[in-house]
Amino acid sequence: MDALTVRGLSRNFGTLLVLDDITFTVETGRIATVLGPNGSGKTTLLRCVVGADRPDSGEVLIAGHPADESDPGQRSMVAAALDDIDFFPDLSVVEHLELLSFAHGHAADPVEEVLTELGLDPARDQLPATLSSGQRRRLALASCFVRPRRLLVLDEPEQRLDARGKAWLADRLRREQADGTTVLMASHDTDLIDAVTDLRIELGA
Amino acid sequence: MTAAPAGIPSARHLRADLRAARRAHRTGGLGDVLSDLYVVALFLGMYSWAAIYESREYLRSPTAGHTDPDEVYWIAVAAVPAALAFAWHGLRTVGPLLVTPTMQAWVTSSPVDRRALLAPRFRALGTGMAALVAALGGAAALIGGAPATGLAWGALAGAACGAGGVSLSVLAQATRGRRRWPRLVGVALAIVAALVAASVVVAHFSGGSFPRPAGSLTVVVAIAGLPLAVVALVIADRALRRVDRAALTAGAPLANAAAEAVVLLDPTLLAGLLEGRRWRRVGRVRSRRFLPGGRWWVLLQAEVRRLYRSPGALVAWGALILLQYAVAVAVPSVAGPARVIGAFLAATRLTGGLRTLTRSPGLRRAVGGGNAAVRLVHLVVPAAGAGLWWLATAPVGPVLPAWATIGTLLGVVFAAYRAATRAPLDYGGAYAVTPFGTIPVDLLRQLLRGPDVIAVLVLVSYLLT
Repeated sequence: MDALTVRGLSRNFGTLLVLDDITFTVETGRIATVLGPNGSGKTTLLRCVVGADRPDSGEVLIAGHPADESDPGQRSMVAAALDDIDFFPDLSVVEHLELLSFAHGHAADPVEEVLTELGLDPARDQLPATLSSGQRRRLALASCFVRPRRLLVLDEPEQRLDARGKAWLADRLRREQADGTTVLMASHDTDLIDAVTDLRIELGA
Repeated sequence: MTAAPAGIPSARHLRADLRAARRAHRTGGLGDVLSDLYVVALFLGMYSWAAIYESREYLRSPTAGHTDPDEVYWIAVAAVPAALAFAWHGLRTVGPLLVTPTMQAWVTSSPVDRRALLAPRFRALGTGMAALVAALGGAAALIGGAPATGLAWGALAGAACGAGGVSLSVLAQATRGRRRWPRLVGVALAIVAALVAASVVVAHFSGGSFPRPAGSLTVVVAIAGLPLAVVALVIADRALRRVDRAALTAGAPLANAAAEAVVLLDPTLLAGLLEGRRWRRVGRVRSRRFLPGGRWWVLLQAEVRRLYRSPGALVAWGALILLQYAVAVAVPSVAGPARVIGAFLAATRLTGGLRTLTRSPGLRRAVGGGNAAVRLVHLVVPAAGAGLWWLATAPVGPVLPAWATIGTLLGVVFAAYRAATRAPLDYGGAYAVTPFGTIPVDLLRQLLRGPDVIAVLVLVSYLLT
């Protein structure tokens, strides 16, 4: 079954056409990477897929159903880490993850395991203002793993990660794939792309 | 709709959990919040009452000048859809329901029932807007000298408009696709306001009459509006489950910038974001080569292109002309000072180029040339705009000597220049310790850059007329 289908999707800002008739399908358990130069519409495409932006035409199907972010069932299926994530200034790292895990009915990986895997254990009680940009990125990624997901959408997940972090990311994405999760990501990191990508979606070519 | 997963907490439970977690790290208590609210409510009440009382007394006094009560009535009627159009635009721009990126990432993205999650915000917003517009309706009735029943009808009509407006804007938020009706509502309100005001003005200057209706429009609005508002509230409440992430998060950056602008007393924080959004809506333009000439000639062409690529500035410029005529009909005694303020506002609509250059040192360096010359060339359009605006409103302005007219116009352009070249606020300037408390003198000086000149011109205008 196709996990994600994008059909004839177009998006423009005023008279500027950012996405023009984009069509692709990602099968369940595959990793698709959106490629393209700056300004080619990678982030806009991901935002349209997760419902953060509305396409001007075309459709997005998630597990065969029209994408509808107001549907609770679809919200529990789609986990996303885009560049618009922000944090409660007065909640610690672990409290953020526990809140999200609770909101999803504790239906995914235990918070403690995710903290350890992402190397956030030493920072578990820190408030977001004290985190480095790399740690904030890891927390954003951690938010995807403490909740259930059938489709994982990531916008340049390698950003601000060190070499070990990037190696971990590739390994984690392969494990997600093995668990049957479909991944759609945008990336500029050729090593990561070569290591995990099943389907390349070229924009602005 | 796909099946909702099991074991999901209720919205109430999730909110309580979040509140408990945040309370654990908070230093301030409920008492602090209530104290702040008390101070704000006290000052708001005092100044609002003073403004209502003074306005009513002024309009009843001989200094307000001779006016036709029917014309004043219709100008007041025109002001209502104009205010509603502004409010509608504001509500639609921020949401009106919105969640911050933080709430979106950690709470709203979960499968928790969205209607239950948004319902408290919607009810608070609906109640708040109903109360606010009811207060404004009551205040307008008081200023107009209405009896107690008129005040009550004014408040009821206001409550209906406030609650109905919020409900309709939430319905617009829940509407999928790119429907045109939300935009048409705002345009229709603005057109109605302009048509009523223009009709009264034309009737005034052509010697015609514009009698007020036999019954009270306020009563009609209240009686017809209240049941409609209740129906809209119920429908909007049911539509809450359809409000999606795109609709909820679109206004968050704007609300954030507005809050920062208020806290930091710096409106440029909001203006910058609004300008960015405006140009993003335009998207792409047809690029054309500049006509050959020197640097100043090319910069001037760029200024003119900026103007016609942002027609909203010209619409505002034109709307200010109609407003000036309406003021002259309704309150002729303030037409002179209002004309000075109107000319200033009209000129500042056209100072986009000057503002951009002042706020971007990099762009300023790239343009080259001397500071004075660059700024002077960017003053051509605002100065021409102010001059034309002054000419267009000449029939309703006081007759001034030639030197006073030229002096006032130069003053208006100078004020627009000062406002547009205001540097980012510096909060480290001088403070004066007085028996009434500490006054941030330098901050006030920066904030009043531009309006300070207008204040002097208004004073002179009063003395001359």
